[in-house]
Amino acid sequence: MITFQRYILDNGLKVLVHEDDSTPMVAVNVLYDVGSRDEAPDKTGFAHLFEHLMFGGSANIPDFDDPIQLAGGENNAFTNTDLTSFYNVLPAQNIETAFWLESDRMLKLRFNKKVLGVQRKVVVEEFKETCLNQPYGDAWHHISDLAYKTHPYRWPTIGLEPSHIEQATLDDVKQFYYAYYRPNNAILVIAGNVKSEEAVRLAEKWFGSIPTGQIPTRHIPVEPPQTEQRRRVLHADVPSDALYLAFHMAPRLAPEFYASDLITDALGNGPSARLFRRLLKEQKLFAHIDCYLSATHDPGLLIIEGKPSEGVSLEQAEALIWQELEQLRTTPLPEVELQKLKNKVESSLVFSELSALNKAINLATFELLGDAALINEEVRFYQNVTTEDMHQVAARLFRPENCSVLHYVAPRPALN
Amino acid sequence: MNRKLAPPIHAITNLRLPRPVIHTLDNGVTVYETSMGTQDVVRLEIVFYAGRPQEHKHLVSRSTLGLLREGAGPYSAAEIAEILDYYGSSLSTPFNMDSANLVLYALSHQLDKVLPLLVAMLETPAFPAEELDAFIQRNLKLLAEDLSKPDVVAYRQITELIFGPTHPYGYNSWPETYAQLHRDDLVHHFNTLYTCDNCEIFISGKITPEIIALLNRTIGAWNRRGKVTPFVPPPIHTRPEKQWLTKPNGVQSAIRIGRRLFDRRHPDYCGMFVLSTMLGGYFGSRLMANIREEKGYTYNIYSTLDTMRYDGCFYIGTEVGNEFVKDTVQQIYKEIELLRTQPADVEEMEMVRSYLMGSLLTMLDGPFNVGEVVRTMVAEDAPFHFFEDLVATVETISAQQLQELANRYLQPDDLWEVIVG
Repeated sequence: MITFQRYILDNGLKVLVHEDDSTPMVAVNVLYDVGSRDEAPDKTGFAHLFEHLMFGGSANIPDFDDPIQLAGGENNAFTNTDLTSFYNVLPAQNIETAFWLESDRMLKLRFNKKVLGVQRKVVVEEFKETCLNQPYGDAWHHISDLAYKTHPYRWPTIGLEPSHIEQATLDDVKQFYYAYYRPNNAILVIAGNVKSEEAVRLAEKWFGSIPTGQIPTRHIPVEPPQTEQRRRVLHADVPSDALYLAFHMAPRLAPEFYASDLITDALGNGPSARLFRRLLKEQKLFAHIDCYLSATHDPGLLIIEGKPSEGVSLEQAEALIWQELEQLRTTPLPEVELQKLKNKVESSLVFSELSALNKAINLATFELLGDAALINEEVRFYQNVTTEDMHQVAARLFRPENCSVLHYVAPRPALN
Repeated sequence: MNRKLAPPIHAITNLRLPRPVIHTLDNGVTVYETSMGTQDVVRLEIVFYAGRPQEHKHLVSRSTLGLLREGAGPYSAAEIAEILDYYGSSLSTPFNMDSANLVLYALSHQLDKVLPLLVAMLETPAFPAEELDAFIQRNLKLLAEDLSKPDVVAYRQITELIFGPTHPYGYNSWPETYAQLHRDDLVHHFNTLYTCDNCEIFISGKITPEIIALLNRTIGAWNRRGKVTPFVPPPIHTRPEKQWLTKPNGVQSAIRIGRRLFDRRHPDYCGMFVLSTMLGGYFGSRLMANIREEKGYTYNIYSTLDTMRYDGCFYIGTEVGNEFVKDTVQQIYKEIELLRTQPADVEEMEMVRSYLMGSLLTMLDGPFNVGEVVRTMVAEDAPFHFFEDLVATVETISAQQLQELANRYLQPDDLWEVIVG
């Protein structure tokens, strides 16, 4: 159970405070309701590039990182399809430093040509390091492109291609900032060794006078249902063959999400999970196999990825996975297996509450989804899933026409 | 309100590692207990001194540990997996040069359900021959993948050059290394080294007397003794060299520049820890400021101390666009030269100290973090007061002392350099 208090400032900034006096630290998290789904198709990767620019100095403070480090703190940020999150963890006695810094960059960013120039290069290097210079590094580009035809999830958060990032201008930056980086589009969460009254007083003091903005209305096209299987085969310079299967699934808050998540666990989470245990350990037909979901706010994807063992073809490997999925479609999951999955979820929720930063980020995410109190409902949502729900959801998920398939074919060794 | 004015900063004081409570189980095994926090969870780590220094053949240490969970006593591999998952526990065997570590996370009230598995693994692991074969096949695949990554290749190469290709800390795995592994090697390694006079236990979380009693009833009743011969590190005769391994078709190159250093007990360790932080150990470090934030050559650049029980090394690592390799290398040497020729100014000293004090405080945040610091001290044969020594160094070391250290340890002729790309 994570207890918290909620306050809304006059300018619309939502403030949540969670007290935890077992830690000497405090986490301060500012979430902005903007992600890569809000980008234009010809300016992809911009939300993430912008996240980098938020460290380039603000109206009254030339550099963001120096003061945090002087306060003994650490800070970082991440962007995904749905949100951008900035977080600071610092010794509780220096909490005000985070308020000072975060409020100043919400008040007015310093738009700096040099910072933009350097960060464009840094992000292009990040693109190379994570997507271009890694085997299978472009898998997410291909999966998004196959699975989504209309919805902006069709490009990854890092961007469709480096040139989109290289072309970003200072005008784009200003426009984006005043459109999205406003208090009425943000959630501030403070978690750790702090009293609520003190946190609220500081929020009011530092953020209270920041003017409200006009947030653009979101018009995100709905992805039409997929009606036939999509396949792509890549002949690439990779060390071994690999395959990915991506299935459309429910959005994060849909009741179906919880059964889908448990199905994902049944297939891929932990040493006893079906795909790992049966295909990798027992039949030894895979060298690697995993199952996970994108857990996006709009309808997302359940993904299975695998690398077949030496001598096992991609076609065989794919057929083996389909057999396992077919079983979930046709045969209800044993009660004891469902209980195991629920125990695992409950345990991981307990462990996730060990870190103040984790709690801050989770509270902010649930508040964005509609209500931070949902964080304490999760266990019940999972507990309520029945084997019948699992069966029905599996039947809807694992239809061939709901699937996008990606194969990587490695170069065959030349015969001597 | 003047927004240009920073709020006052309060220094972190009285930073001290909470000492563990020490128990001895009936079989003589020492347990280090760190009890704090609010959640009813347990982290249990068993450390066997059965790592690379003790193995009689390359890779035996890692494969013995990797196969422990593939069936033991009355439990099949599948049952072990099933029981762990059913009770919401997880068991991992993270890679460690010097020891074989089993890490178990469990909810406190479920610990009694999963401990018997651990006991079976310590008493009678099966080491099925076909599982070793599968382990090798999977690892060969992973190896092929690793060898396609420039940063991994650069790390492998520089550590091999620094310590030498046969040294426990220097050797690399190759397909031939895997081909030489036999089940008998694993059994031998296990029988001689997985004994109750060659291990220590670290437990953290909200620990009750009942949990300690439970440990004693289970692991305390296990009794295999061995005769461990003390490890004498082999002599190292390597000389600094520069290598460029070409890798066609890549858009980035990996750079590693570094040297052999020393273990945690060396009198200059704490000072070098501060110096490495100043150079590349945090976001505001000189390498990040120059090569990322000023020039935009890379997403990340860092320097670090890689510390082992009997030795250690220091290295700088980064991946940069191919067109930036030459200047990046030049800039790295320029930053190292600056460390040798000019003392850091007051502002930078203040920043490094403050950053490190915060990061040391974070290391003591919560039972699991404290438990890991305790484990590191014991497993690397350092005293608990090492932590306070490090704190004192961070608080008091002078810019001149750092400059002296840079002159002693960061001469360009003493550095190895590997570029892959």
